[in-house]
Amino acid sequence: MVLLREGLCPGLSEDMVKALQGECIRTVEDLVSSDAEELAQKCSVSYKALVALKRVLLAQHTAFPISGADLYEELLSSTSILSTGIPSVDKLLDSGLYSGEITELAGGPGTGKTQMCFSVAVNTAHELKQNVLYIDTSGGVCAGRLLQMLQAKTSSTAEQMKALQRIRVFRVFDVFTLLCCLQNLRSNDLQKGSVGGGSVKAVIVDSVSAVISCVLGGKQTEGMSLMMQVAFELKMIAKDFNIAVLVTNHVTRDGNGKLKSGLGQSWSHVPRTRILLQRVEQPGAASSLRTATLTKSSRQSCNLMEEFNLSLQSEEEVKSGCSGKRKFNTDS
Amino acid sequence: RFGKSFKFIFSTLMQRTVASSPLAPSVKVKLIHFGFHTAADLLDVQPLQLCKEAGISQDEAVEVLQTLRGDAQSDQQEAASESVTALDLLHQEQIHSGVVTFCSELDAVLGGGVPVGKTTEICGAPGVGKTQLCIQLAVDVQIPLCFGGLGGKAVYIDTEGSFVVQRVVDMAEAAVEHCTLLAEDEEQRKALEEFTKEKILSGIFLIRCHGYVELLAEAYLLPDFLAKHPEVRLVVIDSIAFPFRHDFDDLSQRTRLLNGLAQKLILLATQHSAAIVLTNQMTTKVSDGQSKLIPALGESWGHAATQRLILHWDGVKSPEGECLILCL
Repeated sequence: MVLLREGLCPGLSEDMVKALQGECIRTVEDLVSSDAEELAQKCSVSYKALVALKRVLLAQHTAFPISGADLYEELLSSTSILSTGIPSVDKLLDSGLYSGEITELAGGPGTGKTQMCFSVAVNTAHELKQNVLYIDTSGGVCAGRLLQMLQAKTSSTAEQMKALQRIRVFRVFDVFTLLCCLQNLRSNDLQKGSVGGGSVKAVIVDSVSAVISCVLGGKQTEGMSLMMQVAFELKMIAKDFNIAVLVTNHVTRDGNGKLKSGLGQSWSHVPRTRILLQRVEQPGAASSLRTATLTKSSRQSCNLMEEFNLSLQSEEEVKSGCSGKRKFNTDS
Repeated sequence: RFGKSFKFIFSTLMQRTVASSPLAPSVKVKLIHFGFHTAADLLDVQPLQLCKEAGISQDEAVEVLQTLRGDAQSDQQEAASESVTALDLLHQEQIHSGVVTFCSELDAVLGGGVPVGKTTEICGAPGVGKTQLCIQLAVDVQIPLCFGGLGGKAVYIDTEGSFVVQRVVDMAEAAVEHCTLLAEDEEQRKALEEFTKEKILSGIFLIRCHGYVELLAEAYLLPDFLAKHPEVRLVVIDSIAFPFRHDFDDLSQRTRLLNGLAQKLILLATQHSAAIVLTNQMTTKVSDGQSKLIPALGESWGHAATQRLILHWDGVKSPEGECLILCL
């Protein structure tokens, strides 16, 4: 639905636009779906000019079909798979996060969603040497933890700093700012590749439910629309720029007390792959053990489960010493 | 250079769609119906023209044009395009230390005290010491910079009526005494002259809220308050559970309100580099014939705070009882 404006295409002059507006033809859709003969009589505009205009506008605004073979070629040459840094989760995801798709991590509080996002970011920035955009909506991003994970991968400070520079953090806390941010990225930054001068391979949104769940439901009419707009922006970013998008979601319990991902049925169709994270509740288990269950996938059979340990992501915390004036020490 | 930045702002704004902008739904529906879908469509339109074409009032037309054309570069658009690299974030984190609690084990578990720029939730059964910890933090945030503190003020929002001034006086006296013992050089001794019991008491802004409506209203007013008082580095809400647990019929509305409140608070924490502390109560969950204590306010509230501390007794409940702290 594009507004008819002077200069939109050759043959659309200001007089023509005014004449059409007089007959309530404001948008391209209105013009294309109207009867040219009738319109020519009412607006006293030449029939030939109107038909030519229709043809040009249709050509400008149609989507062109692509053959399956071309699509397959494109897929083979441009898809990349990003490892998450955790081998058992990679196995679930059929070797990792696929570019051009949205993958979702759902889990209760403290199950390791943010830690896994950090692992993906660190892996992409350090191993693959590609840029990562991290959109943080809940204040969970901690650069100290990213550094800790990097220190476990390499002992060279220069490499650690370079990897940290490849991770760009956006802090947005409500859905309108998120939409604005995603639209900006799509129209400007990603196209020019201006984010850190390199190509972006991963966009992580942690978490998408924090900003959307407060506008859904009740007397608010806009919630679903805003949620779907976010979904649209993320899908376009994934497809147009060949980026792997990772989002995190909270969980709720259904009528039988079983865990399910938040944001409802409509959102459940948005990600291509979904993983549910849970704590391991056995008496003898370490507190950092987690299980990941594949709840939706187009490549593997569902309900595959893998166990992994969160604490293997870093070595012992480096304790910093205190020097100078006597201050309140944290390690006493 | 002016031309370059103008072009960037221009191209950024033109992509903004009407549907995704923070305008009233009724106005958006009218705009879309009359063919205005993106900011580019509103490029050359005057308010009066928009008024006539879309059938909205003059005030609404002015608001629409301001929001979509960015005639006034709003905070939202700035926030949306602002980003930092993880390296800059690391430097920022290293500069801003946390608010110490005077309990070394707790500080060690928290990684140096209650972190600034994040929300921390403290849960526990009645009497375990949540309010005491909050009052201690309100005193500790005022410790001068040269002693390793933040040298800031505190906002204490009390919803239960459990703020006892006498306890603050005791803690303030203890803090001053502790600093006096630690003072080594001229700078610290000079700072001690300013760091008195009266100064500490006047550095805590106490707000008493009755009910959730007052609490939500206060949350709306906090950004302006913190803008006027930039020295505030700690906001305590004690407790956030109390007003939301009584007489709330619509639980899904409660979840929505709480999520919205959490987002406002984390925005506040990030923008003003303040530490936000919330206290929560415990509730019983019965499953498989067993009951256990879990934090109140529901499952989705668990995601709201950045860090969560659960305090409970280990062993016998006594005044000097041990506290086992579990950090989520």
